Amino acid sequence: MTDTTETPRISTMAGIRRALKEAPQLGHRLWLIVLLNAVGMLVHVLVPVLIQQTVDRDLTEAGVDIPSVLTKAGLAFVVLVLGAWSARTAMVRLAHQASGGLSDLRIKVFDKLIRSSVLHVQSERRGALVSRVTSDITTIQEFTEWGGVVFIVNGTQVLIAITAMVLYEWRLALLVVGAVVVYALVLLWFQRILQRNYDRVRRVVADSLAVMGEAVTGLPEVRAFGIEEKTMERVHHALERRSRTEFRTAAFGNALFSTAEIFAAGLTAGVVVVGILLGPSEGVTAGVLIAFLFLVNLLIEPVQSLVEILDFAQNAGAGLRRVVGVLDRTDEIQEPTDPVSLPPGVLGVEFDGVRFAYPGGPDVLVDVDVEIRPGSRVAVVGETGSGKTTFAKLLVRMLDPVEGMVRIGGVDLRQVARTDLRRRVAFVPQEGFLFEGTIADNVRYGYPKASDREVRTAFIELGLDGWLQSLPGGLDTHVGERGGNLSAGERQLVALVRAWISAPDLLVLDEATSAVDPALDVQLRRAIDRLTAGRTSVTIAHRLATAEAADEVLVFEAGRLVERGPHPELVERGGVYASLYADWVAGTLTG
Amino acid sequence: MATPTAPVSARAVVGEGLRLVGGFARARPVPFVLAVLGAALFAGAIIAASQVIGWVTDSVIVPVLSGGEPREGKLAPAVLAIVGVAVWKAAAIVLRRDAAGYLQFKTQQDVRERLIEHQLGLSLSWFARQSMGDLLAIADNDARQATGVLAPFPYASGVSLLIVGTVVLMFFIDFWVGLVALLGMALVVFIEVRAAVTVYPAWEGIQRQTGRVSSVAHESFDGALTVKALGREDYEVERLRTESEDLAHRIAATNSLWETYRVIITALMPTISLAVLVVGAIRVDAGAVTAGDVVSGLYLLGLLAFPVQLIAFVLFDMAASIPAHRRVTSVLEVDEVVEYGSERAAADSGPAPVAGDRVTFGYEPETVVLDDVVLDIPAGRTVAVVGPTGSGKSTLTMLLARLWDPGSGRIRIDGRDLRSFARYELPREVAFVSQNSFLFDDTVAGNITLGAEYREEAIVEAAMMAGAHDFITELPNGYDTRIGERGAALSGGQRQRIALARALIRRPRVLILDDATSAVDPSIEAQILRRLKSADLPSTVILVAYRPSSIRLADEVIYIEEGRVAAQGTHEELMQSQPGYARLVRAYEEDAAERSQSSR
Repeated sequence: MTDTTETPRISTMAGIRRALKEAPQLGHRLWLIVLLNAVGMLVHVLVPVLIQQTVDRDLTEAGVDIPSVLTKAGLAFVVLVLGAWSARTAMVRLAHQASGGLSDLRIKVFDKLIRSSVLHVQSERRGALVSRVTSDITTIQEFTEWGGVVFIVNGTQVLIAITAMVLYEWRLALLVVGAVVVYALVLLWFQRILQRNYDRVRRVVADSLAVMGEAVTGLPEVRAFGIEEKTMERVHHALERRSRTEFRTAAFGNALFSTAEIFAAGLTAGVVVVGILLGPSEGVTAGVLIAFLFLVNLLIEPVQSLVEILDFAQNAGAGLRRVVGVLDRTDEIQEPTDPVSLPPGVLGVEFDGVRFAYPGGPDVLVDVDVEIRPGSRVAVVGETGSGKTTFAKLLVRMLDPVEGMVRIGGVDLRQVARTDLRRRVAFVPQEGFLFEGTIADNVRYGYPKASDREVRTAFIELGLDGWLQSLPGGLDTHVGERGGNLSAGERQLVALVRAWISAPDLLVLDEATSAVDPALDVQLRRAIDRLTAGRTSVTIAHRLATAEAADEVLVFEAGRLVERGPHPELVERGGVYASLYADWVAGTLTG
Repeated sequence: MATPTAPVSARAVVGEGLRLVGGFARARPVPFVLAVLGAALFAGAIIAASQVIGWVTDSVIVPVLSGGEPREGKLAPAVLAIVGVAVWKAAAIVLRRDAAGYLQFKTQQDVRERLIEHQLGLSLSWFARQSMGDLLAIADNDARQATGVLAPFPYASGVSLLIVGTVVLMFFIDFWVGLVALLGMALVVFIEVRAAVTVYPAWEGIQRQTGRVSSVAHESFDGALTVKALGREDYEVERLRTESEDLAHRIAATNSLWETYRVIITALMPTISLAVLVVGAIRVDAGAVTAGDVVSGLYLLGLLAFPVQLIAFVLFDMAASIPAHRRVTSVLEVDEVVEYGSERAAADSGPAPVAGDRVTFGYEPETVVLDDVVLDIPAGRTVAVVGPTGSGKSTLTMLLARLWDPGSGRIRIDGRDLRSFARYELPREVAFVSQNSFLFDDTVAGNITLGAEYREEAIVEAAMMAGAHDFITELPNGYDTRIGERGAALSGGQRQRIALARALIRRPRVLILDDATSAVDPSIEAQILRRLKSADLPSTVILVAYRPSSIRLADEVIYIEEGRVAAQGTHEELMQSQPGYARLVRAYEEDAAERSQSSR
């Protein structure tokens, strides 16, 4: 589970192979793109050659051969147009394949993640996981679009320029290629330093964003405690550090970049000197030398870009490996290959020697053996961290036990098809998460075929029609981003109705009404009790009133089921439950 | 926040873009002038380089290789000239890029600081209408984009000089050659402008769509538990697929368009060279120019091939900077600032009485949350604010801490209107703790002191009273443990207790707790309340509560129903006179009683 935010240790090549397998469109007839590009590139070499030919042969002291100049120029123009057409064809193909293929990859990664339990188990990692389908893919996209193009275009250009040089004059070519290789190696070495600097930049940028984010999102606190000046000071420091680091890194890169000019000049001078020293007797004519000056110029720029692109390539490679790493995760919750249907009717639950721990973590639940009879109302209590929420998650198969087995209706949960399970068993988590949209949209989320009337009926059944009417738009009230227009308690009400409308055979509530006022809490519980009569319900309770009303209470402490039985019995026993209950009574007694 | 779209006409882009650059340049003239100077030196160096190549061709290469002249004494000056010009060019590059980079980074910093500083003074009613994500995007992305034109601008002005210089030189070589170059370059610039202006809006569409993909992913991942509880994974995947495929289509279409322009430009430059060659050949034939003149002209054009492509990028950056800058400005122009008076705080002068005088409030003009609320809380009292879900309790506490201002009426502390306090003064008398207090990315101690000077014992004492000391000492570095995104993960109850300590250490004259212990386990909460009761706080305490145990801590209860104060009095009095109150407070008790009756 630790591999979700870190870059997995696989080679970039393996990552590319895997990505091509998942999104074959990415690599579709890549050779054709390279070929078309090479044709486009060829033009940039052919034209200088034609110009050289013309200058050399037709613009002599003896006179000018106008027809020949015109023929060659016309030929060059035709070549140019052809080259432009083929370069465009290549680029358009690449644009379509890359964006389509990467979209496929994004969807696959999202599909994998949304089914994985890492999202709710390690909620603090959600941000990092979102970047698997956003910024990581964007980096790859930008690389294929820009870096990849530079790679293909410049690589081709370098090859063609070198070939042309060799064909002209191999000794001069050797000089140029040798010098370029040495220069590229030096640049690569500096590139590594630059890369480290970029890492530092990324860190200070992230810091400055965090500090600015705090200033804005923490504004109520900043205002309430009058710490505007302190906050501004922090913002200033973070931004100062950021601009300084960004500038230093850029200045280093600039110095590096400018050396290219001196190198190119040195190389040009070298070519002139060596060319002249070799002289016409060795086949170096004025035309050859002038052509070489063009070709050197043609070579420097792409080599420089190629080196610059390398760190971009590294980032894209790391992004790709992280994305592929998600695809390679094993599913914590695996769909059964041979699913068994749940028996019809009311469902009971059995926990058989269940132990649970998060990977690499301590045990959260140990030795849980319990049977919940069909049709019974069970309350689960315990302090924060006692394992009661984990119990609920195991019960609805948000998690699988490390040891032991959970059975519903006598069937091992691991053999029940997901769709079957979700249809029969409703789980209402504490968070009361709402999606952007109306109240009706949110209620229908789990049960899309519900009519307006059914939605309204569900509210009436739970006695929430009065609340619904108090909203400005009734069922059509917009809840805002993550339900932000409603209070925490109101969000829980909608989440409860949402689960309720699917008429489940087993209802599991995890502190689903923790944020509503006591009178409403009692009213809701009574409604649910009345409506679920004959069905099984398991309620994780923050308020012990629920436990008092239950047929049976399960008491958890430090990951163990320590007591179970009906409320009066447990109170009499004078154990863990009795003391929890005493605190509760002391808290609720008005007298 | 409305997203203004890019201006579509090229004139608007250039005009507004230049005004924008001018504004930034005036704020930091020195780096701007240096950058432009560097660009001019750079342009000069490129022209000089072409002259050098022409000169080397004419007086060294051709005479020696074709004319058979001796090479002695010719090589050294050639090498010196080539390398000398390169050093000049390299120095110009460093000057231009360093100065432009400095200008850009510093201007970004200026814009961000102005944004944050301005926002720190704005009223929460304005924030309530914004999305935090948008505001952060403005401080981050838009600040970058608005200043993005600064880095390439000097280069672009250099390239423009270069183009002008090239054309002028070509005219010096020959009128007809110059004319061909002029027409060719004019065509290139025209196409570059069209490219930037047509591609920019499409690119903006890509940005928006990327935002949509990201918000679907965020929403699905945040609601993952709900998605799975309801078995709607497939639906979420389809939702993402729709947005992702739309994004892919946009990217493909936009890139195809951009590549088409690019290919045209890259083919156009050699075409101009060919035209110059043909015209040059005719002029050489006529004896008007030498072959060397034509070669140096061609070389000059060759040098332009790459930089000329940058014009489109700069125009593109300009097109992007304009709407980004507008979004920045739209925040800076918000005038809903909190107004302050001149009253100084009278800290440490014991508990203060709190009074509310016909206070009315609504988050939006048409909805009334608080209606004609009258409060009279004597100094030193502990008062519980009780009411059903959605009755306006939290809103009232926020008004008491002046996080919002009443629509009408006034709130007074010790006789002074909250609005009469000078900035930073009111928090010295009033401390406020909400249900979801924000913890900063700082140490535990830093989150308690919030940067003010306190003795270590005071910190520990406050933490103890808030029931936080025990778990803090169990953290890896105790009070120096970092919390927040990259620090220790704390439970909701633990966070609430740190926030409570933050308020207690200030020994405020008025302490406001808005359900501040809702996530704390009941037994720990009971302890905290007992400590608060026995501690001799120099404070008037106002707390929003549900639990009778918390209510019992209070001397008095204010019962709120539908935004009005239904009654104020002791718990016993309200139990008698207010059936709604009694029902709310006794809900569990009655529930238990009924059950035991029915089971009997």
